[in-house]
Amino acid sequence: MGKGQPSYTDEEFVAAIRLGDDRALAQLYRLHLPMVLHLVQQNSGTEDEAKDIYQEGVIVFYEKVRDGSLELSCQIKTYLYAVCRRLWLKRLAEKGRYGGRLDDHEPYLETGAEADLVLAEQRDQQFALMEQALSQLGEPCRSLLEGYYLLDKSMQQLTADFGYTNADNAKNQKYKCLVRLKKLFFNHYQEEEQY
Amino acid sequence: MKTEADYYELFEAYQRGELPEPSRAELAARLAADPVMARRYADFDSLSKSLQAYGQRRTLRGKLTALQAELDAETQQGTTQDTGVPTMPTLYISPVERRLREFWGSHRATIAVAASVAVLAVFATLLGIEWWRAVQKPSSYGYTVLRREMDRIKRNQRAINRTLNQIDGVKSPEELNPGKFGGTGFALTADGYLVTSYHVIQGADSLLIESRDRQRFRAEPVFSDVAHDLAILRINDKDFKGFGRLPYSFKRGSADLGERVYTLGYPREDVVFGEGSLSARSGFEGDTAFYQISIPVNPGNSGGPLLDDRGNLIGVISGRQMDVQSAAFATKSSYLMRLVDSLSATPGGLGTISRNNQLTGSSRAQQVRKLQDFVFVVKVYE
Repeated sequence: MGKGQPSYTDEEFVAAIRLGDDRALAQLYRLHLPMVLHLVQQNSGTEDEAKDIYQEGVIVFYEKVRDGSLELSCQIKTYLYAVCRRLWLKRLAEKGRYGGRLDDHEPYLETGAEADLVLAEQRDQQFALMEQALSQLGEPCRSLLEGYYLLDKSMQQLTADFGYTNADNAKNQKYKCLVRLKKLFFNHYQEEEQY
Repeated sequence: MKTEADYYELFEAYQRGELPEPSRAELAARLAADPVMARRYADFDSLSKSLQAYGQRRTLRGKLTALQAELDAETQQGTTQDTGVPTMPTLYISPVERRLREFWGSHRATIAVAASVAVLAVFATLLGIEWWRAVQKPSSYGYTVLRREMDRIKRNQRAINRTLNQIDGVKSPEELNPGKFGGTGFALTADGYLVTSYHVIQGADSLLIESRDRQRFRAEPVFSDVAHDLAILRINDKDFKGFGRLPYSFKRGSADLGERVYTLGYPREDVVFGEGSLSARSGFEGDTAFYQISIPVNPGNSGGPLLDDRGNLIGVISGRQMDVQSAAFATKSSYLMRLVDSLSATPGGLGTISRNNQLTGSSRAQQVRKLQDFVFVVKVYE
């Protein structure tokens, strides 16, 4: 890309991202953004919508890579295009403006992206439930759990942050919160299942 | 009795492999034996994994948003777009152009539809107006009157005059204005009455009659019959001595279908003979005042005489139908005679109409030779 950064091949991208290399991720993100911007803007979308769709697409790809379950049968570019195309079609259908046709400017292949997207969608739903459960949990509990599980803070630091007398107290409190979160989370989960 | 929270502490330690050996084996055994316990562990496992995955997703989204913000900051002054060809420089796009491109990208379809609708509306309006006009005057559509515009001749004549003037040094001002329209006319009586079509003299300021031998006489319209496209002219030139005896007679009755007919006329500078048959006893759109004849006629033929084989005048050439092959129309002579009769009844009217026919029995060429002195060019000045 001529921006003084190392350029990767597709295999190197996958390997680097699997190891959690943020620079590779940034490079990849930068590389394919124009393609998706073009796709969405050519098909009655705004720039912001395009960026949104692209982020979704990259997340699908990234999680697949981190899972180790990615079997790439084509270029990353083609895979991302397929995923973003599918996502944009869905968004258009939701907006009720889809005329049944997209202007394609890249080759569009069956890449297994469809199946990946179904899984990604399920996971999205689960995350939405988790977010809802966390927001219903109430304040000290939520920050405590987020601090420990999401932000990877140590128990000692949390003890200090929340003003507990000792680490054991904080720990007990954390487990109680976890039980409450479990109840909220599984309640929603089961509601969804029944629905 | 342990609370659920205590169990969770235990599970977490177990999951991380921090549990000391005897407790770990004990718990594993209990999980295998106790379904309630196993269920509890499964719930915990699912919950903690969801929580971790959720945490990772949030981190990732944060990273990507930061990346996007960074890119946005870079492109604030303008975008460089990769053209895809390595040897080409990247394309610089200013913020204004970027906004225009966005607008075009998202509203392209709408704009195209609006433009098509506008174009269609314009054409529909134009065609509608055209159609409305055609409906307003239905009879004239497809019908062409046969008077000739003189522009072309005018130009030719001017060129000739110029040449002549250069040679002789003499001016002949008479020649300069050849008239605007031309038609044909023929003698009605020996003392200077002529017949032509009304549309030939329509809107005329002055009329000039020119014979085959280039003699010219001033004439004036005496009477016209717009409905039957007839006009009667009188020569009012003092040099005029009379036509002499008319060789043809006028038929009062109706001619027969299939009769061989001919005409003389001036579609160009010289007299032109045309022949054909009488095809129908009604004219354009069933007008019974006209015959349909199969003579090829051209602009300038209007007002010409239509004669049958025996030299009877049976009609006056009037027009033709554009979209039909060789369909010309001529006013029936019976209408001409009715007009003449009404004029003769008035005092100071027409002289006697010829009842003799000198053409009967002679050959076509002889008939034409006699006839041509009685057929004239009618020139119209506006």
